[in-house]
Amino acid sequence: MKGLRGGAVLISVLVGLLVLFASGPVRAEEGVTDKEVVVGAGLDLTGAVANWGVNIKAGMEALFNRVNEAGGIHGRKIRLIAYDHVYQPPKAVTNAKRLVERDHVFVMMGHLGTPTTKAIKDYVEEKRVPNIFPATLASIWTTSGKWHVGDLATYADQTGLIIDYLVKERKIRKIASFYQDDEYGLDGHLAGKSRLKHQYDLAYVAEVDYKRADIDFSSQAAKLKESGADAVILQAVYREPPRLAEQCAAIGYKPLFIGPSPIVLAKTIELGGKHVEGLMGVEVYPLPTDPGPFLDQYRADMAKYAPSLPIDTTNLYGYQKAALFAEALQRTGRSLTRDSVLRAIESIKDWDPGWGLKYTYGGDNRRGMSNAGRLVVVKDGKWTKASEWTELKEVGRR
Amino acid sequence: MVEILTSQVVSGLATGCVYALIALGFVLIFKATDVVNFAQGEFVMVSGFISYTLLIRFGIPYWLVLVLTIVVSGFMGVLLERVVVRPIMNAPIFSIVIATIGASIVLRSSAGILYGYDVLPLPTIFSKDPIRLGIVSFTAMDAGVIGFSLVIMAALYLFFKLTKTGTAMRATAQSQTAARLMGVSVPRIFSLTWAISAGIGGVAGVLIAPIIYLDPNLGFIGVKAFAGAILGGFGSIPGAIVGGMLLGILENLSGYFFNAGIKQVSTYILLILVLVVRPSGLFGAAPVRKV
Repeated sequence: MKGLRGGAVLISVLVGLLVLFASGPVRAEEGVTDKEVVVGAGLDLTGAVANWGVNIKAGMEALFNRVNEAGGIHGRKIRLIAYDHVYQPPKAVTNAKRLVERDHVFVMMGHLGTPTTKAIKDYVEEKRVPNIFPATLASIWTTSGKWHVGDLATYADQTGLIIDYLVKERKIRKIASFYQDDEYGLDGHLAGKSRLKHQYDLAYVAEVDYKRADIDFSSQAAKLKESGADAVILQAVYREPPRLAEQCAAIGYKPLFIGPSPIVLAKTIELGGKHVEGLMGVEVYPLPTDPGPFLDQYRADMAKYAPSLPIDTTNLYGYQKAALFAEALQRTGRSLTRDSVLRAIESIKDWDPGWGLKYTYGGDNRRGMSNAGRLVVVKDGKWTKASEWTELKEVGRR
Repeated sequence: MVEILTSQVVSGLATGCVYALIALGFVLIFKATDVVNFAQGEFVMVSGFISYTLLIRFGIPYWLVLVLTIVVSGFMGVLLERVVVRPIMNAPIFSIVIATIGASIVLRSSAGILYGYDVLPLPTIFSKDPIRLGIVSFTAMDAGVIGFSLVIMAALYLFFKLTKTGTAMRATAQSQTAARLMGVSVPRIFSLTWAISAGIGGVAGVLIAPIIYLDPNLGFIGVKAFAGAILGGFGSIPGAIVGGMLLGILENLSGYFFNAGIKQVSTYILLILVLVVRPSGLFGAAPVRKV
């Protein structure tokens, strides 16, 4: 009888230990092994904004390749898995599920596009997968809490800079908005509208929309001309500004065109030629041709790992995201979890990768380099600096 | 106001002419072979890349490029007919249509693999600077596209009316059996039809690519042209031309009076209206089944 009770105790202890070990904290984080950390990205590689997608991927890979060749970070190499969502929200959701449930990625990294990233927002929150430095600067990523971390100044803040420049420096009061009719275009469009109203007691003289992947803007050009606007703010990407400028010129209308960072790339000039001379944009990180040790390293890495692509703002955008992520991994240390990497990002204060501008996180600040912005202009077929770095004010956070 | 409206109509007409050319390609093949060729838009895209290669990589002069592109494009049409369509000519029409969709995907992906998915600017000899004529302002580009499309359409008309081959093609479209009995080589006519349709697609490509830029997804313009062909009455050649042109103008005006969303769906709203009111389209004859 005594022996039997001793046996029952022993069995229950064994079962207890088994349960404890099976469900305990020993389990490794998704996407992380001793030798590797796997990150996922949904990008547009074949659609309307493929120039951004292909280059962001190449920029991220250039940095990861160099880091990996030097032995990785804390002994782990970084592997990027990227799928093509063609700038279509439904495909972005399918890809996110593939990345999370089949490839078991550690985090989403550099996910491209505002409408496409908005489409996966609920899903990554539910699966508790961090959405690190998405390639969209919409304000939503600064206010959506724990799982989303942005890196640069928002379209809303950039539009604030544009409005201030137009009204204060250029003394232009007739301003029109040409915007993509989705979460991307509306972010800057609405922020600009509110800044005009509250700061200057003005309103857009025309609000003209277009649809993603539209290719003809003659009716938009006619409406803008009729409004008599002296400046048109372009909440657009790279195909639209040259085509719109051409179609405006065709009806004898030549306002000042100016827009946030997604229009600032070499492709815009290649497509538009003389029609985009004088086009202005906002930059939220240095030009790829600027001096500095970080940009020297970037140019060397691009030449080595992506020799077929020219250096451009597009791949530098991906490259700086990867550099920031590598810094976060470095700070996290050997024990890597989704929570610990998010805490490491929040610990980044005044970190300068070597280009004179600093990233700072912490508190509810989910935008590392949110204060830096400057104007650039197309001059002799090249993006050229048109102002010094200025501090961007937060406008229109919704 | 009047000036802006007229220039909207002119630039809409220019886009409409390109729709009309593509729609013609759809209708010619359909009339001759009963097949709806869903790779018609891809003929436009591929010819854009052909002319890009000849112009930029080989530095051949523009007019020669135009001719070469039409010829190469025509050969592509024949090739597609021989390799994809003819072997399954006796299969149900549905299978053939699916095969052409397959061909369109292959062409689109091949262009993507060869040239990448980035947009490319295709040079043109027509200037995009404005010209004013009274109350109408337009660009040399618009005028060039409209003029060139009209020349091609006129040439086709003369070809069908005046040449023996043209007559044989019309005969085949009416009755393959009767044409065969009259000594017409029907397989040869089929190949020729595909060559001409692809050639017209080639012209459309050279004309439209400099306007809307060149990329592997350019072929989706075929969907709009298809709507234009139905609008005019699918199977009618004048219908395809008028339907395509109307569509271009309608798009511009609806974008001007409403917004981008309405512009996007205006085509299909009109299409539904026409099909409800006059199911055979603007120019279509009352449906008669071939027996």
